[in-house]
Amino acid sequence: MSATIIGTSPNRVGGIGRVTGSQQYVADLRLADVLEARLVTLDCARARIISIDASAALALPGVRLVMTAADLPQPVPRFGPQLEDRPVIAVGETKYHGDPVAIVAAETKDAADAAAALVRVEYEELPAVFTLAAALDPAAPLVQDPALRPGDRLASTNVLREHPIGWGDVDAAVADVVVEHTYTFPMVTHFAIEPHAYIAAPDGDGIAVWSTIQHPNWLQKVIAKVLGMPLAKVRVFAPDPGGGFGGKQHAKYEPLVALAAIRAGRPVRLVLSLEETFQAVRRASCEVRVRTGVNRDGALVFEDIAADYLIGAYADIADRVVGKGSYPAAGPYTVPNVRILARSVLSHTVPSTAFRGFGNPQVNWAVESNLDEAALAIGMDRLEIRLRNIAHRGDAFIPFDTPADGEWSQTVTRAAELIGWGSPLPPGRGRGIALGIKSGPTTGLSYSTVRLLGDGSVIVFAGTSDMGQGARTVFAQIAAQELGAPLDWVTVVMGDTAIVPYDQQTSASRSTVLMGNSVLMACRSIQAQLRTMAARLHAVDEALVGVDRGVVHLPDRDLSVIDVLKPGLGRLGGELTGNGEVRKDADPSHPLSGAPAFFEFNCTAIEAEVDRETGDVTIVRHVTVSDVGRALNPLQVRTQDEGAAIQGLGHTLMEHYIFDEVGRIRNLGAIDYRIPTSMDLPLDLVSETIENADGPGPYGSKGMSEGALLCVAAAVGAAVREAIRVPIRDLPLTPERVWRALQERETA
Amino acid sequence: MHTFAYVRPTTVAEAVAILDAGGRDARVLAGGTDLVIRLRDGSATPTTVIDLKRIADLRPGVREEGGRLTISATTVMTDVAADPLVRRHFPALAEAAAVVGSVQIRNRATLGGNVCNASPAADTATPLLVFDATVVAEGPGGTRRIAIDDFFVRSGVTTLQRGELVTAIELPIPAVATGSAHVRRTRRRGHDLASVTLSVRVDALGVTRFAYGSVGPRPVLAVDDTGVLADPAVPAEARSAILERMFADASPSPRSMRASPAYRLAMLRVLGARALRSAIEQLAAGSD
Repeated sequence: MSATIIGTSPNRVGGIGRVTGSQQYVADLRLADVLEARLVTLDCARARIISIDASAALALPGVRLVMTAADLPQPVPRFGPQLEDRPVIAVGETKYHGDPVAIVAAETKDAADAAAALVRVEYEELPAVFTLAAALDPAAPLVQDPALRPGDRLASTNVLREHPIGWGDVDAAVADVVVEHTYTFPMVTHFAIEPHAYIAAPDGDGIAVWSTIQHPNWLQKVIAKVLGMPLAKVRVFAPDPGGGFGGKQHAKYEPLVALAAIRAGRPVRLVLSLEETFQAVRRASCEVRVRTGVNRDGALVFEDIAADYLIGAYADIADRVVGKGSYPAAGPYTVPNVRILARSVLSHTVPSTAFRGFGNPQVNWAVESNLDEAALAIGMDRLEIRLRNIAHRGDAFIPFDTPADGEWSQTVTRAAELIGWGSPLPPGRGRGIALGIKSGPTTGLSYSTVRLLGDGSVIVFAGTSDMGQGARTVFAQIAAQELGAPLDWVTVVMGDTAIVPYDQQTSASRSTVLMGNSVLMACRSIQAQLRTMAARLHAVDEALVGVDRGVVHLPDRDLSVIDVLKPGLGRLGGELTGNGEVRKDADPSHPLSGAPAFFEFNCTAIEAEVDRETGDVTIVRHVTVSDVGRALNPLQVRTQDEGAAIQGLGHTLMEHYIFDEVGRIRNLGAIDYRIPTSMDLPLDLVSETIENADGPGPYGSKGMSEGALLCVAAAVGAAVREAIRVPIRDLPLTPERVWRALQERETA
Repeated sequence: MHTFAYVRPTTVAEAVAILDAGGRDARVLAGGTDLVIRLRDGSATPTTVIDLKRIADLRPGVREEGGRLTISATTVMTDVAADPLVRRHFPALAEAAAVVGSVQIRNRATLGGNVCNASPAADTATPLLVFDATVVAEGPGGTRRIAIDDFFVRSGVTTLQRGELVTAIELPIPAVATGSAHVRRTRRRGHDLASVTLSVRVDALGVTRFAYGSVGPRPVLAVDDTGVLADPAVPAEARSAILERMFADASPSPRSMRASPAYRLAMLRVLGARALRSAIEQLAAGSD
């Protein structure tokens, strides 16, 4: 087994189960004696709860439990990954359309649904804020009780936090041309195909929780704290999710379902409908004002960026999204003077959370679009201005941070080549090119265990969640490569906190790098044991024994792993075990509490055609190129980028929440919230990689999977602008919006 | 889900009797693509659901007799779209049936159901209007033939009377050469509810019939028998005045989130012009 499996694309581990429907998702699991749950919500954004009468609901056959805040320990437990501001159920006041006031559990789903409709809630609707303008009005009602924010100078406003960052001196900088515009990015939802689902079951003196969660170990901590149990008594099962995109990172209704299960003394199961999912997870909308200073020779002089993100009623991880997402807002360019002020603004809307791209797509849309305006103002080609300013490998483009960790100009040049930049355009068409950058993980802790069994097969224990990105396959490839087992002799165990060692989280495109290195370390530990074993068996100096890709090299010959393992383990058999630990500690001196482990870098180039009569935008060609260091599984890498690119077309062309005048979401569900279908794909979609094996992950890999989403909007916007010669600064670019822009220009 | 009685009659007479007895509390089930969703979300709460699929006389199918095509009410969209007679004589209807919902929906949704649901955005309503269809209803008082233009009232409401059941749609086969087209406006290319639907038919006698939907409480039929619209040689200005008259009855709701009235009205004109061009080309090609 000396052939390399790294850099090949074997069939996805678990792939057949996914495509044949045999994979068991959380919503497929049936526990004996389980109660079905339904949330009770109010038909308004914000209300004072006066009273809740559950008697009619409890009188229905099969109804076992109606639980409200009054039934919980007082004060009602609160939780949250950043601030513990979110009560497990609404206390006294609902803060957004969909905020649950009660949970019903019954023998059947029908009974739970019927009972939920019979829970009588007397309430008084209160004024709500659900736009940036309303939330920032000095007279606006406060979303958060100032008592929750002691000593915070912003506590009397709806600004949760401000994130200033910068260098140089923007005010003193002098540029030949200054271009200033304001851009908006819509509120969108993750729309994972698998519904969010939660089951909790009393388990002796502890509890078992099944969840579609991305971070099982983090959830374990939340449940333990809410229930006052030791970690060892909380067992979280996290079957592979069917799409997460960040929306399944953090606890939502697991604490509530766990409390309901304990109160009922039986397992309780809650599966959210798509409509309820819209009311559980979303991306922050954003308004960004950008002032770009540029000299006539194309040199960027300054970027002055103010970004207001409309987060929801509770912090969730949203404020971290704002801080981390806005931090590289000036882009992958060497800009001498930069000032960024991002604010997270609370509102009476669904709590926003992590979503692929983590706050970067919002500012990227604005800053990259404004760069095009600057190029236009000085009469420079839009590709040229980017290459003129791009940071080269080793450049400290953010002065106090990790220098550029790739030669990114290669990526840009390749994308330009693939789109035919500069070649003649048919009428009605335009091209756009945009660059995206995102900071990778700033902290991390990934343990793993690898067991080389007596027959040479391997079990890998890794706490990553494989939600479709293919982590199982990549870890199996690493173990197969290092220990010489065929890929189908490797089993990867995930998603059970009682068995699998701790992993901090599955996010920020980290798993190949952090958990991948951890698995590699565990395998190398086994290789060291094999070296010792071979030296003993063949009476040679251990220093003369090498182990590489499953081959044991002795001074006079090569042996396979199994030829050493079997005699080495002896008659009783047994196994070799290796542990991995990859730790990236926080750095309190860094603005993000840690420099990124790597940057995700992508260049997207678009050719689009616009129907001037209807405003329809057709993506004729979509090119996405990412610097991935090294693709361990090229097919998975390419298709991850394709998926990200298409998801980016959603917020670019069609997706957005629509609210009514009192803050209720009008387009809950699939009928009036449209995501791209196979019919809406680019006519031609090209996904390529740049590979210089210069990443910190196994075999020179970098993290990837978000990059291809970062700059889709700016590239499409630029192509549309070139096609119609009218700038549009608000997303999505719906046919009606494009048509209206054309109409307004004609009447102007 | 709300509980209800589910009955499966085997004759039209039996179905009519149950429907008559139940009145507003009885609902008819054919493909179920509208009804089942409404049963689930609680917006329909019938006490009786009458499944038509066991009625021998209501078997799906298209037949030609006496100079007209009769399409059984239970014929699904996939079959309407693929039917050679429909495609030959009523191409706009085939085009409309082919864009209803998704493949799965078209395999279940019936022509009768689409008509009886009376959605202002129903795709098949506009071709049926331009082809002068007749709705055949069986009721306690016997058979009634209702001109399609007299059938629609507003969303969910038709001129069907208590106990009446639509059994077929009849389409007179045009006596002269015609061209027709169906177009629609959606927010994406994948399946979507239309924000404008429009069908047009031109014939060798110079008559142009437009029907459009989703721009008011019910689909609208407008006829030009001056010959101007059907004649590609007439200058644009002369045509535009007549086109404006054709679209005068459009009154889109400002409350819709799918498209603004201004956009719908503008698109009605764009789609109208495009469909008219296709229909005229088809007519010319057919007369070669």
